Amino acid sequence: MSIGSKDVLHVAALAELDVPASELQALVEQLGRIVDYVAQLNAVPAGEQAAPFLAGPHAAPLREDEIRPAPLARGPDAIAPEFRDGLFLVPRLGAMEDE
Amino acid sequence: MSWETVIGLEVHVQLKTRSKMFCGCSTAFGDPPNTNVCPVCLGLPGALPVPNAEAIRLATRAAIALGAAVHPASVFARKNYFYPDLPKGYQITQFDQPLSTGGEVVFDSPERGRIACSITRLHVEEDAGKSLHDRYPGKTAIDLNRAGVPLAEIVSGADLRSPAEARSYLTALKQILMYAGVSDCSMEKGSLRVDANLSVRRPGAEQLGTKTEIKNMNSFANVERALEAERLRQVALLDSGGRVDQVTLLFNAATGQVRPSRSKEESHDYRYFPDPDLPPLVLASRWIDEQGAALPELPEARRGRLIAMYGLSTYHAQELTLERSVADYFESVVGAGADPKAAAGWVLGDVMAGYNADGHFAVGPEQLAELIGAIGDGTVSHQAAKQVFVALKGDVTMTSPRALAVTLGLVQVQDSTALERWVDEVLAAFPSEVLRFRGGETKLLGFFVGQVMRRSGGKADPKGVQPVLQAKLGNQD
Amino acid sequence: MNAVATIANAVGSGRTSAASAAREVTRLLADADARGLNATLHWSATQVAREAEEVDGRIRAGAADLPLAGVPVALKDNIVTTEAPTTCGSRILERYVSPFEATVVTRLRAAGALIAAKTNLDEFAMGSSTEHSAFGRVRHPMDPDLVPGGSSGGSAALVAAGVVPAALGSETGGSVRQPASFCGIVGVKPTYGRVSRYGLVAFGSSLDCISVFGRSVDDAARVLAVISGLDSHDATTVDAPLPPAAAEARPLAGLRIGLPREYLPDDLHPGVRAGVDRAIARLRALGAIVVPVSLPHTAYAVPTYYVLAPAEAASNLARYDGARYGSRKTGTAGDLRGLYRATRGQGFGPEVRRRILVGTYVLSAGYYDAYYRKAQQVRNLLAADFSRAFREDRVDLLLTPTTPTPAFRAGEKTADPVAMYLADIFVCGASLAGLPAMSLPAGRSDGLPVGVQLIAPAFGETRMLQAAAALEAVLRGDEEVR
Ligand SMILES: [Mg+2]
Ligand SMILES: [Zn+2]
Repeated sequence: MSIGSKDVLHVAALAELDVPASELQALVEQLGRIVDYVAQLNAVPAGEQAAPFLAGPHAAPLREDEIRPAPLARGPDAIAPEFRDGLFLVPRLGAMEDE
Repeated sequence: MSWETVIGLEVHVQLKTRSKMFCGCSTAFGDPPNTNVCPVCLGLPGALPVPNAEAIRLATRAAIALGAAVHPASVFARKNYFYPDLPKGYQITQFDQPLSTGGEVVFDSPERGRIACSITRLHVEEDAGKSLHDRYPGKTAIDLNRAGVPLAEIVSGADLRSPAEARSYLTALKQILMYAGVSDCSMEKGSLRVDANLSVRRPGAEQLGTKTEIKNMNSFANVERALEAERLRQVALLDSGGRVDQVTLLFNAATGQVRPSRSKEESHDYRYFPDPDLPPLVLASRWIDEQGAALPELPEARRGRLIAMYGLSTYHAQELTLERSVADYFESVVGAGADPKAAAGWVLGDVMAGYNADGHFAVGPEQLAELIGAIGDGTVSHQAAKQVFVALKGDVTMTSPRALAVTLGLVQVQDSTALERWVDEVLAAFPSEVLRFRGGETKLLGFFVGQVMRRSGGKADPKGVQPVLQAKLGNQD
Repeated sequence: MNAVATIANAVGSGRTSAASAAREVTRLLADADARGLNATLHWSATQVAREAEEVDGRIRAGAADLPLAGVPVALKDNIVTTEAPTTCGSRILERYVSPFEATVVTRLRAAGALIAAKTNLDEFAMGSSTEHSAFGRVRHPMDPDLVPGGSSGGSAALVAAGVVPAALGSETGGSVRQPASFCGIVGVKPTYGRVSRYGLVAFGSSLDCISVFGRSVDDAARVLAVISGLDSHDATTVDAPLPPAAAEARPLAGLRIGLPREYLPDDLHPGVRAGVDRAIARLRALGAIVVPVSLPHTAYAVPTYYVLAPAEAASNLARYDGARYGSRKTGTAGDLRGLYRATRGQGFGPEVRRRILVGTYVLSAGYYDAYYRKAQQVRNLLAADFSRAFREDRVDLLLTPTTPTPAFRAGEKTADPVAMYLADIFVCGASLAGLPAMSLPAGRSDGLPVGVQLIAPAFGETRMLQAAAALEAVLRGDEEVR
């Protein structure tokens, strides 16, 4: 198996996802199965095909510099879980804190 | 044993656009929170970015002004991390294929004289929003007005060798960007931000030491202070047999010290990948050339030209070119017929005093040129001219300085009757000084000239005063 | 419910009203819900009636040329609308109502269509059976123990049940073609860039395509024509609107059809194989030339897809953090990180969590080159396979089975994620190459629909739809293929 519980916990931390201890082993197995499955790509000789595939147009269209915001049918206050004095509120950063 | 300091700087400048990088929201500073927001910069489900042409144009100008190579194709990438002021959970930036690479900033190092600091890359990206940690207890408040504002990130090579040199580099870089008209470069308004990397090594060593990253500096002076504090910290650590860890540090302007940030290095796995919402940024080479051609003369070139064309001193040229608008003003004054050296004196003196106070030129260049001309032909004294200048500042009718001098009664008096009357009055008022002069203290002549000028209200022609004074003081009766 | 053209002509000419179409669709929606299809997540009789009233008003005021006048269209619930919620089948957006509307919705409304319902889906469109919805699985209209396919299973089931003549789904790797095949209807995925994604909740942005279900090729083509074309809000759209009459059947004499051998393995389900054989026979009878071709990298399509789509998804789904909108769960620590982890850990279902973790893994330091970069390169090889067939073998279209089997039973593949992924083995390739492709019914096997797939070169929808219309005309009628 290519993946262990340490890998799963590491990517879960990067992705900010709780992984309950009771689910860890099952997840390790499922992710291992998926990662082992997609690892067959390593068998494809693709050394020369360095360019990534590009779907859609080959150059980004550019927008004129005009103040024209797409309208909101309802404001941030109507969609936010917590909003006060025009500001979104979240709990203090805790471990992410810098200031 | 001594240590050599090695510094590299990452500078973010806000590109001067009306609307944001990827949406049509205003970039105005200081609007009520979360009013310049839309589906795109709120990161709403289903919203998509479309790049701002003007941001690309300004970044291209900046790159060319720094002598960088602008690439015909570059790629927007996502930098993935969680932070409450980052609405999408990723920042759209450029990574392995930036807008431009290369370039340099030539400047005067306080220690090493004229040097060039290399530029590694310049890329475009979007800003994050603003987190307010002290507004509500236990809460962080978020304003997304800034989210999505266009930035150019300019990364220097690790070419700087002292905190003071880093500051000089920043001053020169800011000057170039302001000349190119790409950014306001205001640290107070957050339109210029600096992150620094610093390491130390033994002089002559090939290998770089372990570097730390320093953030949270709000002025060029504080960049220098923070780097000096960090340099001392690293040197003390190494001198005592310790080891420098690769950490991120925050500068505290109140204490002048740096302290480690709490963010963990392991969370700095940004998982960059090309943004699938944005095709490559493709720029025609002719368009790139046009942007270069449209650039104004840059500070370095302008200094050289001012010296060569007008015979200015290096110092005057330096001072006059600090800001493009000042150099432009100076050249307008000269263009209106003023003597260049006299114009330089006026611009760097009375004109700059007013400009620094309120940010604009109160006296038109033609007016100043006429005033300088009036001094030159003896119509007004230098002292009187200063009074005329003050009056011109308060005058909105754009009166001619010569006419104003007449109105104010400041035109120089060469009429000998008047001059003799003022001289007689002065000699009568200072009998002991007259005796001392006659006793051989001839340097008092300047004193008498000054007194006559004063008595005349600045109107007496100093060149006419002297012979009258000498004649009268020579009479021993 | 009548065909798209029939309704639009009747309502547009004033022979009937949009209001009566609204009443009929409302009745059919209620019936479908009563049958327990679980195909809809939100619909409102009042809202549909209001929309119909608006359309009737426009027609009375002289609006001519409303190509979808009074036509009820259902939307997969990952396409944002401002009236009804857009949940993506997820707890994390359970009560979210979008402050803006998708471009395709604006275009449908402008064409006179009625937005009839928002349909159930695999959470964030991740799945192939519509069993991964937080709001329960969708039943196959012909047998409630079967899955309708996915992830656009709700839209497919509504069309197959005759509730609406057409519906929008979305494809990232076959999520319209595969359920169309399972449900015995037409499913058309356009060329990447043909239809705006603005307002489609992103899953794998380089693959996502809003796509169309219809009971006939003509139904689907008419809706596709309305929603296609450049959109200034989507930098990946192309200025290539589809002509309105794209689906007029044209003679097939001389048309070259390629049959990729990799899509016809020996162990292919015999009923599916029979459907393909039948389509080949009909195409030949109509004068088309059917030639074998090879797409050598086909076996790598699914693994490529399951690197790239999760990588993009992990990034696209980072915005659901409980800070600005959507559900919020407070963690035990009471700090921000606890909120993030609780909101996301409890808000996303197991399949979405798995894909976020896989996607994060393949992009993380040390694995990017081996997985993400490699998959990008293989994607290029897969696309090159298709171009070679179209250019060097000079085929106009490719014909393949749409799915390896007819509809499977609910629960059959939920234990093994990779088994579920392999249900998309024939549809992933065209998605990765950004090509237009469609599924159309080719008869039944043991009573269950089987579909065949047509794949065209980029922006070759017109020829694909014309061929499909011709084929549909001769395939219709005879049912059992084995
Ligand atoms: Mg940056
Ligand atoms: Zn915006």
